[in-house]
Amino acid sequence: MNKAAFYDLDGTLLSCNLVTMHAYYARNDRSLIKSAYQLTKVLLSVPLLFGLDLYSRSLFNIFSFRAYRGMHRDRLIGLADDLFEVTLKPSIFPQAQALIHTTSELGYRNVLVTGTLDFTIRPIALHFGIEEVICNRLEFKDHVATGQVLAPLLAENEKARSIREYAVREGIDLAQSCAFSDSSADVPMLSSVGFPVATNPTRRLRRIALEKNWPILELRESSSTLPPFLKAAKAH
Amino acid sequence: MKPLTTWRWNPVRGEYENGDRVPLEGTGEISAIDAFSNKTMLLLGCTGFVGKVLLAMVLDRFPELRHLVVQVRRKKNLHGEERFYAEILQSPPLRPIVERLGEEILRKKVQVVEGDLDQPLGGLSTEAIDQLKYKVDVVVNLAGVVDFDPPVNESFATNVYGTQHLIELVQLLNAKLVHVSTSYVAGKKNGRIPEEVAIGYFPLRDTHAGRHFSVAEEIDWYETFVDETRENRAGDLRPLRERLRAGGMNRAEYWGWTNTYTYTKSIGEQLIARTPGLTYSIVRPAIVESSLHFPFAGWNEGFTTSAPLVLMGGDGVKGWPVRNGPLEVVPVDLVASGILIVTAAVLCGKNQPVYHLASADENPIMLPRLVAFLGMNSRYKHKHKKNGNRLANLWKAYVETQVITVESLEVRRARLHRGLDVIHAALTLGKTILGSDKVSPYLKSLRDTRRQIRQQEVTLDKFLPFMFHNSFIFETGNVREAARMLTKEDLNRLQWDPKSIDWADYWVNIHTKGIEKWIRPVFAGREKRGQ
Repeated sequence: MNKAAFYDLDGTLLSCNLVTMHAYYARNDRSLIKSAYQLTKVLLSVPLLFGLDLYSRSLFNIFSFRAYRGMHRDRLIGLADDLFEVTLKPSIFPQAQALIHTTSELGYRNVLVTGTLDFTIRPIALHFGIEEVICNRLEFKDHVATGQVLAPLLAENEKARSIREYAVREGIDLAQSCAFSDSSADVPMLSSVGFPVATNPTRRLRRIALEKNWPILELRESSSTLPPFLKAAKAH
Repeated sequence: MKPLTTWRWNPVRGEYENGDRVPLEGTGEISAIDAFSNKTMLLLGCTGFVGKVLLAMVLDRFPELRHLVVQVRRKKNLHGEERFYAEILQSPPLRPIVERLGEEILRKKVQVVEGDLDQPLGGLSTEAIDQLKYKVDVVVNLAGVVDFDPPVNESFATNVYGTQHLIELVQLLNAKLVHVSTSYVAGKKNGRIPEEVAIGYFPLRDTHAGRHFSVAEEIDWYETFVDETRENRAGDLRPLRERLRAGGMNRAEYWGWTNTYTYTKSIGEQLIARTPGLTYSIVRPAIVESSLHFPFAGWNEGFTTSAPLVLMGGDGVKGWPVRNGPLEVVPVDLVASGILIVTAAVLCGKNQPVYHLASADENPIMLPRLVAFLGMNSRYKHKHKKNGNRLANLWKAYVETQVITVESLEVRRARLHRGLDVIHAALTLGKTILGSDKVSPYLKSLRDTRRQIRQQEVTLDKFLPFMFHNSFIFETGNVREAARMLTKEDLNRLQWDPKSIDWADYWVNIHTKGIEKWIRPVFAGREKRGQ
């Protein structure tokens, strides 16, 4: 049977977040004035989003996706490469690429599982050489974003459900698979595989990881030790 | 990237739709697999952009085809056969196929004949013809001169006389014919263009009832014109090539065609249509662009597609005169599929005389959207550029592209050239004051910039007919009908589905990147040599 490595993105492989990404689109609107207006809206929404994130990732997602309302899909796709260069690429963690390379070499199918939007994810996936992606998509009417996200909204329990569905469809043995994430919101995702790894974990996740005896991995430093199961596999 | 989802983008409605893909159903009246089984196909022009992709598709998807004969012209010191194995099969679209199938199988299946459509009977030797007589079932012709405005003799040699040679060859071989032309034989017209070929057609037919077009008279005119032009200059100081070029363009425009290419291709079509007893179909692709999927995403070559415009956009050209209408773009792998669908129809005796292969009939991509994409590409390229003039890069990155009119294009150009003249005068003055060594590098940079701008102007002018002057949509009912007649297994191998093209994703992520990867390096080389 096949095995997969499921990767969360934000906080795990790089340090950007939904607000920063949305701010990019806001300040790169068609005219200077429109950009200023959009940017102001984003800045004003930050405290609210921060509070929401602490409360519920899902609500946070829903609200921040609302901010895309009115944007034309052509522009979102057309600017994605620039967005990557400007906000995402510089924030990729030093050890991220090496880890992805390692899991691939060890026979895992690498899959990105993230709340990030599909047009934003594309250059990231290309950069990492990851072909399979489970992500969110905006709803569009006549090429313009409505602010809604297409169901199922990917966060928390939904990530775990998508992973299980994917495993059934592709013949993946989840017990042999691994998953990497930094956030306690992804405990359901981490719990769905046989080899979860708390990666650059938040305080909350670190506590849970220690409780459950999950290995902890740090990708933000220039060198780090692989979790035992990967180290062992590499040695063979 | 493969997003794992059941949502599919509907590019026509501009929204996502849910649900699994409905499997394509055909009536099975045409079986391409049966049609190709145990047949021999003679392919002319397999060395070109569409030709290579078609060749790859036939080899990759129809192992049932018994025999494939390809005609290759010799080039410099290489014989046709050497050229085929050393150059053509090693090209990016064909290498993966060759690796998969192995050269041994290919040598058994493919026969290379040397020849040239400019010669009678395609320049094939008598031995070759004897051997192929009654063996070849269908001839697929992609050979042609696709330059818009070369010296008129070059166009006529292949597109007119070459077609005469083609017809004679096909008749001698007792085969059927699929002839690839261009939908722009329609000329300067507006509105929906029907799939038909008419003897005596010329684009201004409806408004100039007094004129009569005949292929025989055009050939007479051509022969007289070339003789006269070669023999005497009549005070015209331009070189011979330029006089021949201008003559062809003037003649084309007189009848209402946009350039020598479309004019001569139309003559070729009419030659075919008036030949009695010939079983044929004419395939007219629109603007053929980077591949969507096959042999891989983003394959492109050549300069008569939108490549020059995309490169100019990437170089920071901001003002684009376009109408608010569609650009008839069609990916090359869809064209290859379309040609094979038509070939199957011809072999089954269920073909129409003309097939358009275009996209706007089902899924139009409007020009102003493409102008915006050009601007975003320029931003991306110049924002992160390390070399070059800093101010120029900032301007190229942040100034938005604009849709403008042709009138304001002229105004902008005049203003730009006046500005450059002022700078030139200032630099010349500076040379006398500050000395030559300080100022010469700037003068050279100015000369280079002027040259690049002039080249861009010439290019833009060549494409204006397609972008601005005429607004048309090519009807594509015939290929859709033919696709509907295929079997289910055929539809796994041949897809004619322009409705599924996600234009934003295609243009930004596949097409533009393909042009930058495959064409920019060749283009840069050309520019250096001052072509």
